[in-house]
Amino acid sequence: MYGRKACELVKEFASVGKGQLTQYNSDLFEQVVAECSQHHLELQSLIRKMQEEGLDVQTARNADHYGALIHHLSLVRNKRCLMAYVNNRAEIIRSLLWKIGSVLPKEIEEKFSHTEEEYFNKYSGELKKYMSKMELDLTVDMVPPKDPYIKVRVLDDIGDGIVLSDKTANFARHSIHFLKRTDAEQFISRGLMEELTG
Amino acid sequence: MAGQSDPELSLFSAEELEFIAEDEIVDIVPNLKMGPLNFISGDFGPFIPQIVAQVPLWLAVALKKRGKCSICPPQWMSVEKLTQVLEAERNSQEMSEQLPFHYVEISRLLFDHANDDISDAYMVRSLIEDIRDVRFHKVETDLEAFNGRTIAVKIKNLSAMEVNIVISVLSNVHFHYIISPRQLRR
Amino acid sequence: MASSSMEGSMPTMDEYEALLSTTDVELLKRAWRSEKAAPEILRYDFDLVGRVTEQLQLMEETVDEKSTSGADPLSLSLYQMDLDRTLFLLRSYLRIRIQKIEKYMFHIRKSDELWNRLSKGEKDFASRCIDDLKHHLEESVLSKLPENYQSVEKQSVISEEDDMVPEPRLDTFVLCRSKEYLSGIQLEDGPVEDRSKLFEMEPGVLYFICYKSIKPLVESGKIDLL
Repeated sequence: MYGRKACELVKEFASVGKGQLTQYNSDLFEQVVAECSQHHLELQSLIRKMQEEGLDVQTARNADHYGALIHHLSLVRNKRCLMAYVNNRAEIIRSLLWKIGSVLPKEIEEKFSHTEEEYFNKYSGELKKYMSKMELDLTVDMVPPKDPYIKVRVLDDIGDGIVLSDKTANFARHSIHFLKRTDAEQFISRGLMEELTG
Repeated sequence: MAGQSDPELSLFSAEELEFIAEDEIVDIVPNLKMGPLNFISGDFGPFIPQIVAQVPLWLAVALKKRGKCSICPPQWMSVEKLTQVLEAERNSQEMSEQLPFHYVEISRLLFDHANDDISDAYMVRSLIEDIRDVRFHKVETDLEAFNGRTIAVKIKNLSAMEVNIVISVLSNVHFHYIISPRQLRR
Repeated sequence: MASSSMEGSMPTMDEYEALLSTTDVELLKRAWRSEKAAPEILRYDFDLVGRVTEQLQLMEETVDEKSTSGADPLSLSLYQMDLDRTLFLLRSYLRIRIQKIEKYMFHIRKSDELWNRLSKGEKDFASRCIDDLKHHLEESVLSKLPENYQSVEKQSVISEEDDMVPEPRLDTFVLCRSKEYLSGIQLEDGPVEDRSKLFEMEPGVLYFICYKSIKPLVESGKIDLL
């Protein structure tokens, strides 16, 4: 059936979670491209046949006309699927720059096609140019800011003279402190402190 | 590549809603003396111990966390008032107009950071949860009546959280509308 | 700003709100919310962004000064928070616009009206992004297709209009609120028999309405999107 491979390609793109990328399927992609060329050959040969029969290609409505129309529509459908595949992947590729940065882990980069790799690097450059013109890094601060300080209770004897980014503190067990979130997180994640609310 | 609407682009996240609600003005009673704060977002203070000052919620919470003030909960956050609101919400399909647009976010911020300033905090919290449930249910029932022929909906007294429910449901409804016979006939 | 009125009596809630609504931060917040809610890109508020950027710079200098002069750490941390909030707002506003530009760049480029809603920097960015994406699509897809099917904008040479260009859906529903009483709003969408009806909006009430119908009112600033 015409268009089945293109449909598979698009389905494959959509089969993973939103924002996720599948391996660029150049094999299936090229098969769809080949199908397009085949449609075009058939389309041309039908038109040639009509011309040889002395029919006006613009107005004749015989079986060959409808045959040619089907090849044309199938080709257009395949084109739309190929474009949707590349364009939607491009959208995800751009979002990776926002989420991860301009250096991607190998596992992700391996999923790109060669031109996608090029596209990612160019896009990264364009965004950098815009941001330097605005003198503002737009890739930070993705969620609204919170108070940089939190209140914590010490759960274990951590010790005296602990050096933090803005002060030196003594953390006796059960004492309550007001710390920078970034300083406190290392202790919280080790179970040595808890955040207090209310 | 026909246009798609992207609800993720147009919906405010919970964090963003909270950010917006943090600009609501509340009363605080400071226990410190501090000169006026001339912020980009406006001028606040001066702060004098035991004299009520009006500040945005984020500033109130920051001062409270540092032990520099107590926060006066807004009037509507009392057992008496909320009992009335709950009653009104239960008795009518209309949305009551007595709560502010960001009542969910404001009350959550106050429970998280100024629980000791709220009298009968436990009751207040459970009343707000009940009100929230009743209202969400009403919004959902209202939306069931919504169909492809609807061109505009006037919704009185909807809160910020409820708006998100409506927008996500509506973008789906509208999708069906888009592919209705009008389109197919072309 | 508030200092003179603070001397005597406490301002009421309404006065406070009026006061706050005039700050540039409040205006930026409105622009941010509308931009986020509107399906298409809105006009870039050049003056507003300029004023906010200037205030941010001044505030950054003040905070730096205070921190080196050993000012009270409490007020310093509060100034820093105010700065962070405004910075977030500006970044988020510019980010939403960039996202919209990326999604609809071909469509925006085609119309002078839309194109002129972009800032100079956004225009440069968009032009380069269009070139890059076009090149990428040509390399990956179009150059491999038969000649008559190689256009980025059109499905094939026989397409009369640009039927391959993604466009925002203007018939999407948005939530809005009017500042004043508005009447005689023409509904541009919906069943034909309803289209002749005029719609009115009361101030302060929320409406869900098709974006297309209120588009001019959003552009003229009479209606805020939420």
